[in-house]
Amino acid sequence: MTIAEELISEERAELLARLGLDGQNKASMGRVLATGSIAEATERADGTMEATIRIKEDEVCWEPDILVLPHGGELELTVINDDKNTHACLLPSNGDQKFLWLMNHSKGRAKITLDGPGYYWYSSPGGNDEGRGLTAAIVVQGEVPPEAKLDRPDQPRP
Amino acid sequence: MTLEYVDAGEAINHSALSAVPGIAPAVTDNVDYERLLKARSESQNWLTYYGAYDGQRYSLLDQINTENVSKLTPAWIFQAGQSGQMAAASTYAFEACPLVVDGVMYVTGWDGWFWALDAVTGKELWRYKHAVPFDVSLCCSNVNRGCAVANGKVYFVTPNAQLLALDATNGEKVWQRTIGDVRAGESASIAPTVIKDTLITGSAGGEFGVRGHIDCWDLETGEQRWRTYTVPKPGEPGSETWPADGEAWARGGANHWVSGTYDPELNLYYAGTGNPAPDFDGAVREGDNLYTDSVVALNVDTGEIQWHYQFTPHDLWDYDSTMEMTLFERDGKKLLGHFDKNGYFFVLDRTNGELQHVTPFVDRIDWGVITRDGKVTPRKYPDKEGEPVHFYPGPAGAKEWTHAAYSQKTELFYVPVADVGATATRRRREFKEGIPYWGAAVQVDIDDMAGSVSAFDTYGEEKWRWRIDYPMAASVLATAGDLVFAGTPTGEFVALDARTGEKLWEFQCGSGHHSSCSTYSVDGKQYVVVPVGWGGWLEGIVPGMLGAGHGSAVIAFALPD
Repeated sequence: MTIAEELISEERAELLARLGLDGQNKASMGRVLATGSIAEATERADGTMEATIRIKEDEVCWEPDILVLPHGGELELTVINDDKNTHACLLPSNGDQKFLWLMNHSKGRAKITLDGPGYYWYSSPGGNDEGRGLTAAIVVQGEVPPEAKLDRPDQPRP
Repeated sequence: MTLEYVDAGEAINHSALSAVPGIAPAVTDNVDYERLLKARSESQNWLTYYGAYDGQRYSLLDQINTENVSKLTPAWIFQAGQSGQMAAASTYAFEACPLVVDGVMYVTGWDGWFWALDAVTGKELWRYKHAVPFDVSLCCSNVNRGCAVANGKVYFVTPNAQLLALDATNGEKVWQRTIGDVRAGESASIAPTVIKDTLITGSAGGEFGVRGHIDCWDLETGEQRWRTYTVPKPGEPGSETWPADGEAWARGGANHWVSGTYDPELNLYYAGTGNPAPDFDGAVREGDNLYTDSVVALNVDTGEIQWHYQFTPHDLWDYDSTMEMTLFERDGKKLLGHFDKNGYFFVLDRTNGELQHVTPFVDRIDWGVITRDGKVTPRKYPDKEGEPVHFYPGPAGAKEWTHAAYSQKTELFYVPVADVGATATRRRREFKEGIPYWGAAVQVDIDDMAGSVSAFDTYGEEKWRWRIDYPMAASVLATAGDLVFAGTPTGEFVALDARTGEKLWEFQCGSGHHSSCSTYSVDGKQYVVVPVGWGGWLEGIVPGMLGAGHGSAVIAFALPD
């Protein structure tokens, strides 16, 4: 059976688990990036957003693996390390990257500003945390402001 | 029992964990339009992208000269590595020209980086890092060509089409504008130009079938003053050069992605425009396709196109004309010189766009012929579906975007020349927004190439040539010390005798050159500075060096004390 056929017959999460792609020291040494969970940020009344990201014990990955924002702007993150090892968090943000040291069983905060649309990676920049699985995505949905669009008829998209 | 979390606190700026003080002297407060008009006379500084509005890349500094250049040594090196992932990590490059104001250097990098450096020591004073989406559309790599300075601020664009004004003393954002549609495939890489109380930018994305435009912004507020599209809508002047039916015009390209030049007496901004889209499939866009591959002379107050000249009508070879429009005078006449990708040197009357003469500046040209009076006859081009066609120059041109220099002292142009061909095979594809729209498979030669810095008089007669085995891919600088500086793809930074082309000095910088060097002085000591970081659209420019290592350094040179 080819992988393509397997994808059709089996849920993706089950396939990732069966092949050992979604955990530490299974198929490979680390967890393959972007094989984890997906969550959406909460939008507040003033348009700013909030979400929680965490490192789970012995999984060396961010939860969620993909955080989705409805639009660009300010995001307040609660950052939790539930692991019994020390990690860190390096986040993209307009102006400068934001850094947070995450001792074992610690919780911190980060305020970041991102343009949309597009997606960004963030990580734990120590040792090779990034390769083992502690690299995750923030996806910003939406369109550019109307004044930045081209003056032309709507065009077909893929 | 539930354990309380240890408080990890609030995330801090990454630069706080470095030796960067975060502050620079307020040297740009008095940089205004009057000073920019006389930028060359402030030879200790490099105040604009080209050093002056005329685009000559010529400095009056002569402390470093033909007699002593052999003693030139590195004064300092700034290394610009980064943590975390970035867009287009395989193609980033240093393509910037450093600006210098009274001892402070302002340099932009790939992926939204901006650094202020001490121009004497190379010490990093502050940094700004814009967050650039990993998935931004970049035809030709993650690059930026530089910044502008005025009134206490610095200005630059980011790959995701944002225009930023930063406080020049600390890098804090003052204002930000979205200047393009990243979903449409637009991006930005141009160094803005300050003119009067405004700032002029252009868009990139011609390989994605966008509609090119040039924009003017208020320096203080960022409000838009005007936008001029470089492909006309149906009914507008020039629209007759596009098919009357369909939407070819809406995907026509003509992006202005390299800074223009400016004549304050004529009040005209000379903007080069890029290729039409799709690059190689002309059958879907019959006609001359104005204003692609052109110079458009814009009234800087209104954005109105006063005149235009098209260098490659109905381009089928990807011959952008975005590179510099050098302004110079001859026999009392206001002229504009332009070395085009198509291999020809054009001289125009810059008051009205009238052609003076055309001459070839590279050995191998077979895509077509342009006579001295400007008549264009195409000969070899991708025409039939699936049929390979080889032509010279390749799509990176006989001179890529990197800039020539013009010495007022020798009255010669110094040109970074690339002599390499390519094969294009037409492959029609339907247009989809945000997807590359080339209309061909393209392969640039890797086993037959050459390059040079060549000197030409203003009539296009070659005076000397300094040859290398690879196409030149970095800008040239001319100085009153009778020197021409240039970097090679293999890492050598060289000084040539401006009158003979003899190599007088070289330094191996450890990475290929694909940027624009500049020169300045502090406390009477002259420096030459060059950003060194190989990368960019190497598969087009010099694929034979695609596997060379990247670099990310700014290196300043000076004579020993």
